[in-house]
Amino acid sequence: MSFAMFLKSTFVIGLLESAPLMLAAVGFTLIYRLNGFINIGYAENATLGAYLAVTLNAILGWNFYIAIIPAALFSGVLSVLTYLIVFRPAMKRGVGPTEMIILSVGVSFFLRYGISLIWGSRLYNFNLGKTDYLSLFGIGITNTQLICLGLALVVAFGLYAFIYKTKMGETMRALADNEELAMISGINPVKVSVVVWFLSGLAGGLAGVFTGVFTWVNTGLGWHMILVILLVAIIGRVGDVRGALIAGAGVGIITTAVTLVTQPAYGVVTLLVIFIVILKIRKVRA
Amino acid sequence: MGQILSGYYVYMLSILVVYIALATILHAQFGLTGIANFGLSAIWGFGMYTSALLIVKLNFPFVPAVILATVLTGAVSMGIGRIILDLDSQSVLVGTLAFLAIIETLVISEKWLTNGVMGIGPVNYPFDIGTYSQFVYFLILLIFTMALMYYARKLESSPPGRLFLSIQDNEPLSQSLGKPTFRRKLFFFAFTSALAGFFGALAAPTYKFLFPKYMGPAITFTLWIALILGARKRIFGGLVGILATIGLFDVILESVVPIPSRYAGILYNSKYFLYGLTLILVLMFRPSGILGEKAKSLNIANTGKIHKMEG
Repeated sequence: MSFAMFLKSTFVIGLLESAPLMLAAVGFTLIYRLNGFINIGYAENATLGAYLAVTLNAILGWNFYIAIIPAALFSGVLSVLTYLIVFRPAMKRGVGPTEMIILSVGVSFFLRYGISLIWGSRLYNFNLGKTDYLSLFGIGITNTQLICLGLALVVAFGLYAFIYKTKMGETMRALADNEELAMISGINPVKVSVVVWFLSGLAGGLAGVFTGVFTWVNTGLGWHMILVILLVAIIGRVGDVRGALIAGAGVGIITTAVTLVTQPAYGVVTLLVIFIVILKIRKVRA
Repeated sequence: MGQILSGYYVYMLSILVVYIALATILHAQFGLTGIANFGLSAIWGFGMYTSALLIVKLNFPFVPAVILATVLTGAVSMGIGRIILDLDSQSVLVGTLAFLAIIETLVISEKWLTNGVMGIGPVNYPFDIGTYSQFVYFLILLIFTMALMYYARKLESSPPGRLFLSIQDNEPLSQSLGKPTFRRKLFFFAFTSALAGFFGALAAPTYKFLFPKYMGPAITFTLWIALILGARKRIFGGLVGILATIGLFDVILESVVPIPSRYAGILYNSKYFLYGLTLILVLMFRPSGILGEKAKSLNIANTGKIHKMEG
């Protein structure tokens, strides 16, 4: 493989890998920014989104692009439900940040194995109809991959614009920075939180669908994504949507570059080592 | 007699005892010291794989292999601890989780060394006394686990144990009193991790063949669920938690109730589904676990008063 080809492959494959990741990381980051805890249960928004879409598409025969819509909306609803039923009451009881993470692991187990009980352990594949093979900078790519890439990027940047450019986004940031002050200014924290958890779940669900399109759908789908989502969110400074976008792209490209030269396992290991080093450097600087 | 004292039941009891030891180590690390170690199964697995590699690849005798594996696990944990233990607790959690992922990925990918998902072995019992080998080995595991629990009990009321509790309560305060909090925490982490490695090395002959899934994140999460369920701040928290999870599901349910193999998948999924549900309910309605908070001893009650006066 020539060097130019290597760069092109890294870029194209890296982008394909990172688009769902960027989307998922933005959603994950929204919750962290608002409530200040790492929500492992977020993984299952992605899994459920993928399962709903694949059920509508491959089992009930819906068009893929139509099946995405109720799947994403329902993931958003699931996210709101976990917030209202579990996380909000727990936060009100003053459960600490570490215990909140463990609680979210509980939510994750509950949902993931609930999904396993409903759908069983087999793999599902999307039914995408006719596949066209296109070429992007000389790298083979299917039409669905290209459209999913586009959609993932549009939604990720849309969320970014929502947070930084709209009134609702401003309200959300105000609430995240200082809840008491925000409440004095007449912001209803529950209403804003419900919107944020809904959007976050929606992004997670879509990210799950896109990951499922590029590979397959099984109950470990979200679980396998969550550690990388966590890394992306932390490398991009947790709570910073812009950072999540940049880190998401960077992580996809680095993993792809290492994978192309060696093997997938080393891509993951490199990423994890970089992650630990970044954690440390931040601490030293702080 | 030999029939009852070997085979599946003794195997399950041996695993149960080792898990109780691990949950007790988690109690010492998290309950006592506040170190949110999400890499415990990898540390344990490191000891297990190291001893197995020494025995299978380099023909080490059992005891030296266990000792070397324990020391190496301690050394690696010291390195990890040096990097991440001075970070905030969320970073410690994700940092140890990342360590787990690194070790698990490498154990799967480095087939030349570990044989990947095909597994490595056999690791035999260090002695052969016929059908009783397995049972005698179980007794050895039991004795070491009881010794560990005795150590954890002593630790809680010892000066270092009280220092750890104070670090967890208010680290800057302990530091300002001139206590070397980071160094103490680091040594304690390395020591308890070496113990986890020791139990990993001890567990190897019970498994006989080792697979990467024995050290995967599911194990760490199960241990966490067990400890939180039992009571993270109580010595017997790990024991009670493991009995209520693995003991109930894997030992009692699977061996007493005959479940047709086609329902095995449903049972497995229901198990983790219920673990998740239980964890949610415990954290929301009884955060201190089944055993609850400990009735405080005189010494700790005094420190409590001092804290209150300051507050």
